[in-house]
Amino acid sequence: MAKKQTKKETKKQTKKEKIDKSKNLISLLKKHGAQVYEDLENGEFPKFSIPNRSISNIIYDKKLRQYVLGTNTSLRSSRNSSQLRSFTQLLWLAFFANKLTHEKKSSTLRDVYYSSQAFAVDFEDQGESDNIIVDLEAVLSQPREDFYVFPEERSSIFGDLTIEYTIPGYEGKTQNLSSHPDGYAIGPSMTSAELVDTSAELVIAIEKGGLFTRFVEEQVDKKFKSIIINTGGQAPRSTRTLLKRLHDEMGLPVVILTDGDVYGEHIAMVIKSGSANAAHLKGLTVPDAKWMGVWATDIDKFKLPTIPMTESDIKRCYDLLKDPRYQEGLWKRELEVFIKIKRKAELEAFSKYGLNNITEKYLPKKLEESKSF
Amino acid sequence: MSSKEQFNQISPSEFFYRNRDLAGFSNPTRSLYTAVREFVENSLDACDHSGILPNIHMTIKAVDPEKPDPKQYILTVKDNGPGIPSKHVPLAFGTVLYGSKFGLKQARGMFGLGATMAILYGQITTNKAVKVKSNADGKTRFDYEMLLDIQKNKPVILKKQETSSSEKGLSVSICLDGDYSKAGTKIRDYVYQTSLITPYATISFDDPKGEKFHHKAIIRSMPPAPTIIAPHPYGIDVETIRRMLVDTHYQIPNVDDKMIEKVRKELGMSKKKFTYDEIMKKTEKKWKSLTRPVRVVIALMSFLEADFEKLQRIRIEDVDLRNNKLIYWDYSTSQTLVADMDVESHYYKQLANTVQGESLTHFLSKRFQRVGPTAALEFCKFAKFKPETRVGNMTDQELVKLSDALQTYEGFRSPDPTCLAPLGDGPLEKGIERRFEPDFMAVVQRTASAYSGFPFVIEMGIAYGGKIETRGTTVYRFANRIPLLYDEGSDVVLKVVKDTDWNRYKVKNDSAPMIIVSHICSTRVPYKTVGKENVADRPEIEKELRLALQFLSRKLSGYMSKKGQAEMAKKRANLYSKYLPLVAQFCTELSGNKKEPNYKEMIKEETALTNSDGPPEEIKKNG
Repeated sequence: MAKKQTKKETKKQTKKEKIDKSKNLISLLKKHGAQVYEDLENGEFPKFSIPNRSISNIIYDKKLRQYVLGTNTSLRSSRNSSQLRSFTQLLWLAFFANKLTHEKKSSTLRDVYYSSQAFAVDFEDQGESDNIIVDLEAVLSQPREDFYVFPEERSSIFGDLTIEYTIPGYEGKTQNLSSHPDGYAIGPSMTSAELVDTSAELVIAIEKGGLFTRFVEEQVDKKFKSIIINTGGQAPRSTRTLLKRLHDEMGLPVVILTDGDVYGEHIAMVIKSGSANAAHLKGLTVPDAKWMGVWATDIDKFKLPTIPMTESDIKRCYDLLKDPRYQEGLWKRELEVFIKIKRKAELEAFSKYGLNNITEKYLPKKLEESKSF
Repeated sequence: MSSKEQFNQISPSEFFYRNRDLAGFSNPTRSLYTAVREFVENSLDACDHSGILPNIHMTIKAVDPEKPDPKQYILTVKDNGPGIPSKHVPLAFGTVLYGSKFGLKQARGMFGLGATMAILYGQITTNKAVKVKSNADGKTRFDYEMLLDIQKNKPVILKKQETSSSEKGLSVSICLDGDYSKAGTKIRDYVYQTSLITPYATISFDDPKGEKFHHKAIIRSMPPAPTIIAPHPYGIDVETIRRMLVDTHYQIPNVDDKMIEKVRKELGMSKKKFTYDEIMKKTEKKWKSLTRPVRVVIALMSFLEADFEKLQRIRIEDVDLRNNKLIYWDYSTSQTLVADMDVESHYYKQLANTVQGESLTHFLSKRFQRVGPTAALEFCKFAKFKPETRVGNMTDQELVKLSDALQTYEGFRSPDPTCLAPLGDGPLEKGIERRFEPDFMAVVQRTASAYSGFPFVIEMGIAYGGKIETRGTTVYRFANRIPLLYDEGSDVVLKVVKDTDWNRYKVKNDSAPMIIVSHICSTRVPYKTVGKENVADRPEIEKELRLALQFLSRKLSGYMSKKGQAEMAKKRANLYSKYLPLVAQFCTELSGNKKEPNYKEMIKEETALTNSDGPPEEIKKNG
């Protein structure tokens, strides 16, 4: 009972936080707009100061256990004719984000690209507009999801979790996420929803859609009192935000199940401690999340059928060895074993021993094991 | 066993027939192109030398359009030139080695052999006659159909016809094996480029596919025609000297009624009958005012002791200086008679001079350019010839010695360029301007220079931007107003262009819309191959080309940097007037203001900065 109380309190708190966050963003955008206005009024060329996102300015913060940007900033000035266009684009995006936030309308990266065409700000391609979006994130220190720009949805969630929508038209409506066996897409409405209640004691993030379906079929949610999340490869930021909220707000531990290769290991690492690409953002990581497998050492232990690593797989291993986060413990050990055996195993490899082998044998064993690290 | 080798003399036609590859008639593709060139160039040369603005019309028609290439084509080239007098037509088009182009001046072709080769090739491949229509006097047109007797090197006239016509000019039509699908591009290029280098000519071409190409004359004035000048001693060989001797050898005049009338007139003895003595007396008084032929006739009369009546009855057969005899035919008695000549008589000297030719010094100073009497004397000393040696009496060995000495003597002044016919920078500029309408252009004509005795002049033009559609530098090469289309790889002009560091002149060589027109004029262009398609890299020519190109490139560079600055400034101004209003709009909405900030002055300032640099139009004129 006591536990539930705390949960509810946290919930109220987050709701308030959320409104603050939105207000905060709007005032931040207004502040930037006013500055530009003032400059023009004074006959001066307006400029933005943007944190430098080049590799030389990305540092690993051991305390935060994630990558952060250093103190270097670069100036984007409308005085400079070669920067004028991108300055205009950045200001347009701020203007567009302001509109989205006011109207609480979500859009995608691609939407942003096409919306820009109504304003003649001349993005050459979507790549360019994507970059400007990251620039604005850096200027505001806010992820794009906060100003309602979302990536394409490809990850999903299933389990006993009740949510309450906050998006316009659905406010107050609740939904339990165990009523549809294909799972629920993790989109803007999901990430912005209030997390109301859950009986689960665990979140299992899984790399692949196929295994996600298998887990639902095998009732892993019930058997292990868990919420199952399909990350669809590298977890999108909205999914990472949801994972963090499930951990922080509902107090659920997060375990991660990936293919037994270097990319799988890194998927787990990004959920745990973020990516260099998002070094300008905070609040996307679950530092306590645990990589449950498939480990390199599991391959031998569970006699899994393997395929040989490609040259680029091996190169990726050596690249990661230089990453400060791979310098100790499990992460370093498994990476070194991958390099040694030069073979990898997919999650589906367990099917050799029967379709439910993974849920019946492997999962309980690893869950037990994970409690100890 | 005895072997008996047979030595057969072959006629020039047969020689060419056997070696037709050399003249560019190796296959149907190349032959069609070469034939086009030969006829068009002959027409242009003819017009040039008569000061007529050329109007040339060419058609190529397939005999049977349905057949696949190679097949028979009828090639017709018609011009508005001087035409060829009727009596010369059979020889000019029906024999090999008959030409009117001997003599030293710049012309597209040397001897007019190519046209005959084309006719020969046509006859060999199709067995059809050549059709020539010539109108030389603006009254009568003569139409010939002829074949060439290859063994005898003689024309066989199949048809001859006269029609009255006021239109002067020449039209030649042959039937030949060709491959237009392969040669078409080159032929069209050739016609186009020819019109570029002859902006005063109108050239039209109807191709076998029914396409019409019409290149109208751009200018109405012709560049000055090259003058025929005497050769320079350098680069002269024994054969040329021999030909010059034949040329300069004074003929004993034909003593006909006309000639007799001339003699009477000069002596002032037209009316009455005069005795021999009266004539001689009068002659002594008037000698100094008499013309050379008249003097010769009177000298003959003195030995024959003839009056005008006797003179009418005889024909001079030979003047035998060795035996001092005069041999003549007497019509009245129908026999050959001999008269002695008095060596002491001053009339003898007159005759001897005429028959033996001039003295060596006279010959050198009169027949060669850049040789004066003093230089001729100096040369004789150098070559160990007596200055008064009679050229008509020189033996073969002496001629060889003379020719060798002319090559080695260093005292002659450099060759005279008046025999060259550069287009001139004006016409060249107009030609380029009208054909390409470029943003920038410059032309240069270098002063004359010489390589091993042959004078040459380099003309060059450069053009950039405008309606030039090609990307990367296109080089149009010309030599004596002929476009050079094949074998560009090894040409000296391309070598010079390639060696240039274009970055230095702010030009991106591989993407620049740029053309270079290079024209080498010389009495002898040093072609690398018989095909006349690429010019050899003589150091003197290479140097001149380099200097010309450097001069033009510097001008281009000046234009490019001005253009670059203007473009940058313009781009900047455009950027500001485009984006600042947007910035104003967005920040007004973001900040929640109602009115847009006052930013218009800022755009004005940026635009003003641009205007002070001057608009690009002005640069065009300055360039």
